[in-house]
Amino acid sequence: MDAATKARLWGWNTALDAAFVRWFLAGLAAVLVIVPLLILLLQATGKSNAERQRELWARYRSWLIFIPLMIGPVLLGAGWTVAAVCVMSILCYREFARATGLFRHRSISLLVVLGIFALTFAIADHWYGFFVAITPLMIACIAAVAIFDDQPKGYIQRVALGIFAFLLFGVCFGHLGYFANDGNYRQMLIWLVVCVELNDIFAYIVGKTLGRKKLAPNTSPNKTVAGAVGAAVLTTLVAAGLGKMVFSGTEVDTPFRLVLLGVILSFSGQLGDLALSSIKRDLGIKDWAATFPGHGGLLDRFNSLLFAAPAVLHYVGYLHGIGLDQVPRIITRG
Amino acid sequence: MEEWQYKPAQDLGIGEMERLRSVKRESGLAGFLARKTWWFWVGTILRLAERIQVNGAERLPAAPPFLVVANHASHLDVLVLATALPRRLRDAVFPLAAGDTFFETPPMAAFAAGMMNALPMWRKNCGRHAIDALRHRLVSEPCGYILFPEGTRSRSGQMSGFRPGVGMLVSGTAVPVVPCYLRGTFAALPTPARWPRSSHIALNIGEPCEFRNVPNEKNGWRIIADKLEQEVRRLGEVGAVKSG
Repeated sequence: MDAATKARLWGWNTALDAAFVRWFLAGLAAVLVIVPLLILLLQATGKSNAERQRELWARYRSWLIFIPLMIGPVLLGAGWTVAAVCVMSILCYREFARATGLFRHRSISLLVVLGIFALTFAIADHWYGFFVAITPLMIACIAAVAIFDDQPKGYIQRVALGIFAFLLFGVCFGHLGYFANDGNYRQMLIWLVVCVELNDIFAYIVGKTLGRKKLAPNTSPNKTVAGAVGAAVLTTLVAAGLGKMVFSGTEVDTPFRLVLLGVILSFSGQLGDLALSSIKRDLGIKDWAATFPGHGGLLDRFNSLLFAAPAVLHYVGYLHGIGLDQVPRIITRG
Repeated sequence: MEEWQYKPAQDLGIGEMERLRSVKRESGLAGFLARKTWWFWVGTILRLAERIQVNGAERLPAAPPFLVVANHASHLDVLVLATALPRRLRDAVFPLAAGDTFFETPPMAAFAAGMMNALPMWRKNCGRHAIDALRHRLVSEPCGYILFPEGTRSRSGQMSGFRPGVGMLVSGTAVPVVPCYLRGTFAALPTPARWPRSSHIALNIGEPCEFRNVPNEKNGWRIIADKLEQEVRRLGEVGAVKSG
């Protein structure tokens, strides 16, 4: 393994090299200090009741846990990032499997987990060909394994759920890990996660203040058309503006392409959220899990990243390329 | 198009700690693999360290639901019983363990629930709710339980009376209850001891009983407990006569 690859995978001393990363961490620290002050202010001015306060503190505490878990691996190195995405994929699959009942089909669950390990290997190896090949191979394997229950009634359901889960939480989520194969991965991943989270926040704020017509009342009762449009506009501005720093000097760095990137990010983020809300409504559940007080499960938190990660990766990949300057087949070709 | 049938996990929406102590806990792939590993190692070590003889394994039901009851004198009891079950039954069995002993602290609860797949039975105030949930689960999942109706480990090695709780689980149902007698576990690991000694352990498995016509109330439970106690004592005498 050459020195550059080793530094990308495991070198944490270059974590703060990019100005964008330093600014982000400073901004994050500021937010983490200001939010508790705001919560205390709400309490002092009597604008909130005890239950509301408890909920706000629970949410804040959950964020204190999320943030190091998400940002830590990205700062530590590409190797840690890929490993963290693998763990997240498996935990998200677990939530989906428990909510749909798929978890009772242990052979299918085992295959999906093995598929996620295979994807992780392909990503770590920087072997895009294998990453792509795993999808049809896994579809075949899941369809095959489900035969041996010898229970054709329900065959389509268990195969389809297994494939859907693998594609969403293995392949789509795995694209988040594939970013780590680029030298610029830290900026890109932080930018992606920040913009997707802001997208949610903008949709909420604009919806609360200006929203009247509901977007999809049966699917997501709190979402409004105004919120969706407002988020699209605001996120595009922020994503394009911040993107100028992250993608400066690359083929993405033209006003039109940056704006288009923002639009793609905003829509894919909102659609990911709505898609998982549709799944929840079909199942008749309110939250994916009770893991994080105030938030629900991992999927409640990360649903917006599901479609955004592949959409942004391929957009940037098409224009500029992802990891083209990095050595491919790190493990399989030495 | 016909709608699909979804059956979410019964413990969905419960926090992790509460889930480990819930009778509705359903385990997935990780739990299954943990249990397989645990029972593989326990089975191997038991076979190497103790001489175990199982009589009457052919009397075990072919598939769930089932309830295995036995005399209780040692922590080894549940290990011997579970490893004596065929794989099909062992994969579906939940030992019912004392809540105050095995589910009090988080690490203990994680071990009991995660490795042994145990479900809690609270000795002090076992709510009707919990018993009904256990009863429903036994029949509908279907699954199997291992239960020690004495309610506690014997301090002397002698069997004491069976409590009526066992009746609450099976009265009025067609669930086969398999009486078992364990000899030698008290000698191998009595209550205050921390490490097992090598010993000869015998497990006598009796004919399953059914209580579908017994009413689901106090009298019925007493009838069931007494009948099972009688059967288990009888199994205890069978072995003793043989070995002279």
